[in-house]
Amino acid sequence: MSFSSIVLQLAQGMGVSVEIFFITLVFSLPLGLLIALGRMSKNKIVSAIMSVYISIMRGTPLMLQMMVVYFGPYYLFGIHISGSYRMSAALIAFIINYAAYFAEIYRSGIQSMSQGQYEAAKLLGYSRQQTFSIIILPQVFKCIIPALSNEVITLVKDTSLAFTISVVEMFTTAKALASATASMMPFAAAGLFYYIFNFLVAWVMDIIEKKLAYYK
Amino acid sequence: MKTFRKLASLFLAGIMAVSFAACGGTGSSSAASAASASAADSTASAADNTFTVGFDQNFPPMGFKGSDGKFTGFDLDLAAEAAKRMGMAIKYQPISWDAKDAELTSGTIDCIWNGFTISGRENNYTWSKPYMENDQVFVVKADSAVKSLADLKGKTVEVQTDSAAQAALKEKTNISSAFANVQTTADYNTALMDLDMGAVDAVAMDSTVADYKITSGKLKLKILGESIQKEQYGIGFKKGNTALCAKVSKAMDEMKKDGTLTKISKKWFGKDVTTWGKA
Repeated sequence: MSFSSIVLQLAQGMGVSVEIFFITLVFSLPLGLLIALGRMSKNKIVSAIMSVYISIMRGTPLMLQMMVVYFGPYYLFGIHISGSYRMSAALIAFIINYAAYFAEIYRSGIQSMSQGQYEAAKLLGYSRQQTFSIIILPQVFKCIIPALSNEVITLVKDTSLAFTISVVEMFTTAKALASATASMMPFAAAGLFYYIFNFLVAWVMDIIEKKLAYYK
Repeated sequence: MKTFRKLASLFLAGIMAVSFAACGGTGSSSAASAASASAADSTASAADNTFTVGFDQNFPPMGFKGSDGKFTGFDLDLAAEAAKRMGMAIKYQPISWDAKDAELTSGTIDCIWNGFTISGRENNYTWSKPYMENDQVFVVKADSAVKSLADLKGKTVEVQTDSAAQAALKEKTNISSAFANVQTTADYNTALMDLDMGAVDAVAMDSTVADYKITSGKLKLKILGESIQKEQYGIGFKKGNTALCAKVSKAMDEMKKDGTLTKISKKWFGKDVTTWGKA
């Protein structure tokens, strides 16, 4: 197998990994915010439900959660699933798992906002919703970008767990190629792919952080 | 909090939409066929007319990624030919070997056709007739000091999780009790890398795969003379799915009769190693 053929196949696998990455981010970032708000809600029931959700999602392995989401419908409810459910199941599991982690990051950011901000906003006549969305939330983002970029980089590498339910992403392809060519080269190439992608992600997060540092 | 409730309902709806779109393809048929699980499986594979073969893609020459990047292998070739004769489209689905039972039971694959050993698993699946023989053997490095089974006393042996080798060693405690340790790993490629590195002293695996790795010349290995057990490969279907098993068996009968089986075997092994129909 020529080097270019290996790289091409890894690139195709990378496409799947990148797809999982983007779709997960798009859904779990907002969902995480919702969960964080629910967790901090004054309503005891909502707060308790969200705490339990976060606890379970962070306390069980992502691999296990993927298997539950994928095989659950059949084993628990007898719904016949088709193979095309694979990718969706992986995405759902990633989204609900990462939303829990993002929720805690959001919460740490929101709770670190000083009371002075709320008081000043009240004085200026902002409503509670306005205070939150115009005054507090932008500052929260500024504050949590480093923690967020940590999670996002972890997500890039966690996409390799999708093989648990047979979603062929880049690391699986690398393993199959290593098997077929009896060499370690596909792994080295896979490592390079991951590093380049993570480098880009970290670079983008860095730019965002600099753009948001408008009071420094 | 009005915004919270608005956002919450939007995103819950979004998540539900994603999950329903996913099973939406078979959604309508699933409601009707959810009644009987096995009926659902045979109707499903007939309904969308695809024969989905589940296999471990790290298992040459039975099923692996060829040099052109496409899935290929002795078993995959047999499956493609059988699918053609049954008038079905073939789909190769690489699976995680530890999840094979869940995949088969839930119907996301129709069969396991992958150097799948019958011995020790007779009651767990609906089996076709055996089509090939195999030995579970010990593989060591070509320059290893280990020359026979006795030399493996106090050494570390590795097997794939859920493999026939693992089951055989568990059963034959007279052999395995002499070892210091029996390690498991997810696939045989990793096991052979461990062997190459010296992390383990021997790997217990199928002779068909070991032979292939040796003749393809990339790894310097030798097989010990004593085999753990002689066994047979079959095609595994979900327990109770006798309808599909019968269809595939009929196709295999035809393939034997017109010599296609021998032709495919010669392509991969240089000789006819198939035992289909020779009880």
